[in-house]
Amino acid sequence: MVTVSRRIDEAPEIYTLELGAKNEGKSGQFYMLSVQGVGEAPISVASGFGRNLIFTIRSIGSVTSRAMGEGRIGVRGPYGSKWPWKEYNEIVAVAGGIGIPPIRSLIEEMIDAKREGDIELMYGARSPSDIVYKKEINEWMKSVDVHLTVDRGDDRWNGKVGFVPTLLKDSHFSRKAAMFVIGPPLMMKNTVKEAVSLGYREDRIFISLERRMECGIGVCGHCNVGHRYACEDGPIFNYSEVMTEPELFL
Amino acid sequence: MERVFAAISGDFETYGAVEKEGEVLFDRVHSLAEVSENRSRYAPKEFLIRRNENVLYLEEQQRKAVFGIKSCDLKGFYLMDRQILNRDPFYTERRNKTLFVNYVCNTPCEGGFCSSFGGPVLDEFDIQVLREGNDYHIMASDKYDKYFNGCRNDDGSYFTDFKRKFNTEMPPLKVDGLESRIKWNSPIWKEFASRCISCGACNYSCPTCYCFDLYDDGDERKREWDSCVLSGFTSSSAGNIRNGLDERLRQRFYHKFVYFKKSKDEFLCTGCNRCVEDCPVGIDIKEVITHDYSNE
Amino acid sequence: MSVLTVCPYCGTGCQIVVNEQGTEERVTGYSRSPVNAGKLCIKGYSGLSYNFSRDRLKHPMIKRDGEFVRASWKEALDETADRLLEIIKQYGPDSIAFQASAKCTNEENYLMQKIARVVGTNNVDHCARSCHSPTALGLITTLGAGAATGSIESLSASRTYFVIGSNTTEQHPIIGTKLVTERKKGKNLVVADPRRTQLAELATIHLQFNPGTDVALLDSIMYVILEEHLEDEKFISDRTEGFPEFRKAIDKHSPEITEGITGIKPEELRRAARLIARDRPTSILYAMGITQHIHGTENVMSVSNLALLTGNIGVRGSGIFPLRGQNNVQGSSDMGVLSEWYPGYVPVDSPRVERFEKLWNKRLPRNKGLALSEMFDAAAEGRVKAIYVMGENPLVTEASVSDVETAIHNLELFVVQDIFMTLTAGEADIVLPASTSLEKEGTFTNTERRIQKVNAVYPSPGEAKPDWWILNEIGKRISGIQGYESPREIFEEIRQAIPGYAGATYENIYPTGKQWPINAENPEGTEILHTKTFPLGRAKFVPVVYAPPAESVDEKYDMIMTTGRNYFHYHSGTMSRRTDILERESPEPYVEINAVDARRLGIRNSQTVTVESRHGTIRTKARITEKVPPGIVFVPFHYDESRVNRLVGKQVDKLSKIPEFKVVAVRVFA
Repeated sequence: MVTVSRRIDEAPEIYTLELGAKNEGKSGQFYMLSVQGVGEAPISVASGFGRNLIFTIRSIGSVTSRAMGEGRIGVRGPYGSKWPWKEYNEIVAVAGGIGIPPIRSLIEEMIDAKREGDIELMYGARSPSDIVYKKEINEWMKSVDVHLTVDRGDDRWNGKVGFVPTLLKDSHFSRKAAMFVIGPPLMMKNTVKEAVSLGYREDRIFISLERRMECGIGVCGHCNVGHRYACEDGPIFNYSEVMTEPELFL
Repeated sequence: MERVFAAISGDFETYGAVEKEGEVLFDRVHSLAEVSENRSRYAPKEFLIRRNENVLYLEEQQRKAVFGIKSCDLKGFYLMDRQILNRDPFYTERRNKTLFVNYVCNTPCEGGFCSSFGGPVLDEFDIQVLREGNDYHIMASDKYDKYFNGCRNDDGSYFTDFKRKFNTEMPPLKVDGLESRIKWNSPIWKEFASRCISCGACNYSCPTCYCFDLYDDGDERKREWDSCVLSGFTSSSAGNIRNGLDERLRQRFYHKFVYFKKSKDEFLCTGCNRCVEDCPVGIDIKEVITHDYSNE
Repeated sequence: MSVLTVCPYCGTGCQIVVNEQGTEERVTGYSRSPVNAGKLCIKGYSGLSYNFSRDRLKHPMIKRDGEFVRASWKEALDETADRLLEIIKQYGPDSIAFQASAKCTNEENYLMQKIARVVGTNNVDHCARSCHSPTALGLITTLGAGAATGSIESLSASRTYFVIGSNTTEQHPIIGTKLVTERKKGKNLVVADPRRTQLAELATIHLQFNPGTDVALLDSIMYVILEEHLEDEKFISDRTEGFPEFRKAIDKHSPEITEGITGIKPEELRRAARLIARDRPTSILYAMGITQHIHGTENVMSVSNLALLTGNIGVRGSGIFPLRGQNNVQGSSDMGVLSEWYPGYVPVDSPRVERFEKLWNKRLPRNKGLALSEMFDAAAEGRVKAIYVMGENPLVTEASVSDVETAIHNLELFVVQDIFMTLTAGEADIVLPASTSLEKEGTFTNTERRIQKVNAVYPSPGEAKPDWWILNEIGKRISGIQGYESPREIFEEIRQAIPGYAGATYENIYPTGKQWPINAENPEGTEILHTKTFPLGRAKFVPVVYAPPAESVDEKYDMIMTTGRNYFHYHSGTMSRRTDILERESPEPYVEINAVDARRLGIRNSQTVTVESRHGTIRTKARITEKVPPGIVFVPFHYDESRVNRLVGKQVDKLSKIPEFKVVAVRVFA
């Protein structure tokens, strides 16, 4: 059990918990968070390696709604695969909606490694009020190339309106860049499709897949993507390795 | 063989298949004579994966010897080993402390198709017994050879002959290449779904099904056998990757005949026919193997 | 250690073998069972872990100043008995009422009604009131026995199945699978149900008729049979009476006339009628879809008319199968925990009650007692001062549940014995912790009249005691009856009380059970009833004329809601919601609504909506589906977080007093 040191309301039904422990996981990995008597849920880590453990959670299930009010929560992990950012010179990180936390973790790691110039962020949310990490994004904008869009604007929004894939053509990197994609299934599907048609290589696209994960260690059998388990071989997959799986996106 | 039993019972708590009200079930036994030659009502998975248990602590396990498990059921553990041994600490602790003495069937059982998957004589075993009248033919793995003091009467050739004879009585089904023959969009999945009532019998009866569900009960965390034909098996906050019962039934057969083959180079099926026997609507896994997918 | 016993969920009564290893269970179906032949549904396989739930009641509790305080058994029993006696002394025996339970054993139910009657009241009733009281009354009126006429096994001999008002694959799954398997072999299946259930999908003909129009539908089927001369004339003349009067009533129900009521096209109905009457033997299966109506008893008699008209009774493969809800509804009804019947369906005002006066050595009450649905009204009016509940959860399950709450608060004493702190138990003055059926001995009688032995697998947790033990202690204290040493001793008395049970012993019903009547002529029991004669001699045709349900749509309440159970959730959820897998599969209530209606009302899938009736309101999630037709919504019953019974009115069947759970006018909005 770990103490919750800070709670932040990010957007409707979305909140961030900072815990009194260090993150031993790499960006893209996840931990199993638990509320006693309720259960466990897999949550991607939102902070960079070595920083304080941070999770951003959408209250939708029993655990994720209850974790908000708890003073202490159970944490086990880290589990799963990580974003392979060290292997690429240019990275386009594409996040939709509540998919942004593992990308925050990625940006923090790249900032800590003084490689913030090698990443571009493409992030879309349903509406301006659904944008998570407003403060952090403003901070990143100083050194990272950030592109934002919303599905529906409001009176005060003077940025771009449109779905996430429409951002891809704004990238300043070459088409040889690696692309990391995470978000709702439909957004990922369309983003990957758009990326391939723009000339990005399938084996340089990495996607993060969400599945029902229970054990985190490849034993309980719930999270298979074809013959692989998302908790062990994923959640980050090289797109070219899984693109023929019929059960890829919901 | 009685002497072997006595020697083993010095080191292990002894269990065996025993008959009760016409059912063959597993219970404590204290002599070899108590052990039934008949096939047990169910695959005794619970020796290694309890149906329901607390996972917050792992107690040190008793050393157990299980007599009379049939080859098809034992083979299930060898298949599970490939995925969960040394990953699942509960399974691993029990696996390492359990000795199985498997009985090889003399004659084919009704509906069984173990010969399709290399049974009933196993390549991997602790102590393998084939009884012909009062003669016991025994093979022991190196680990358990000590119980025989070199007085084992078999070098395996008897088993080779037996296997040949058995295969003529139970001709193996064509399983080669099944992983590429089977079709994702075959109409059989929908036909199965029209009958299926999601009872979970196929999973619970299967000697190779290892999936479980984790849940909280008060301040305890427990695990319980799960079933992939249930919609809650995959539903998550993001939705459900397998909303249709036909998709879930397909998952079960794809896991057995495609996914496990790809990742472990084995079919996750021992040909025991238990899922067929326990299915209340007659869904037959053999149909998945023999079905002609070529025009689908 | 392995123990052979009976699954505690539905009325099918599957035999299970529980391999006990400490606090866990390995369950398999008993392969030699004539009921389930080794098969089980998900509740059998995965539904038993409630037994080891951390929430089990482990010691007696008495409420002091609004808080439960732990008590010893002696304190709790003495206080219960003293307060009951005081109330009887002050207001008379009819000021107390007992609610028995179809979840408990025959022995326990028998004992409870005996205690009630020996202290002088027929105020003893149970949940059969809300499920099959119309069956008991209806079939006793027409045939002379209110039970399934054949066996589950005998269904394989049918050539046609007519299923009306039963979602068999979800509610009685193992019986349902029999129908599925036989249908796949090519047998005919006619399903009459407002919802498109799995069986309806498989059916030869699905009559998707309007809720509450059963009599119109059945009468029209019989109209066609008579019109086309498909009736069994020999059976009618040899074995029945009242045919001419019945025929006259049917004449009003041509399919062309009833189409406007039922919504069924005449040609469709004619096809169904031909299958039912021609391709015999036909078995007729029904459940709550027939009984939970203000015309429930008439619906049952109408089903009976159809079986008689086509000669589908008394032969293997034919017959009437009322599918019993609870594991022991048949048995508890047999035991007479019904306010108008002594054990064995002896009417309370009949001279045959003398038999019990002799057996129990006591003058017994001859007036009808209060039905379950009347007990709470009587409590609200102050006529009943104490209610003693065994294993029921009326605060969730009764119709018009908000009134139940008020009624309970008006009581001087409310005692609940149960395995969990249910919502109802939470309102009690005294709570007595009971054992589950996996922790005690006794018998259950399943939906095919099979008396089966129940055996203890586990010890009871804490100080929990079997219900029979608790009742026995109360009985000794308040009714002066001599105590029993064991369930077996009670069963021996049941054999004397009920002729159909006379030939059964704990030994001879083990392991596979026997179907009553079991007596000198039928020592092995009776698989098929009414083969040569009916208990009434001749069976009666009863003319039944269609009358509309109590509720109908109007401008404001423009949709009809019907209620029922789903596969994973069982009744008030006391057991099923404390098992991991069942709760995971169905964690919350919902309202099924057709896509057309959803679009019209601007409702998205999974959106929380309001369902409002003339009696109350609930909030629950919408589930858009083609299972229900436009104009109809379906809500599963008994989730305590949105109790659908708040929407159900108080109208009851005049004859059997069952509330109309199946037809409620509602409106749905986002």
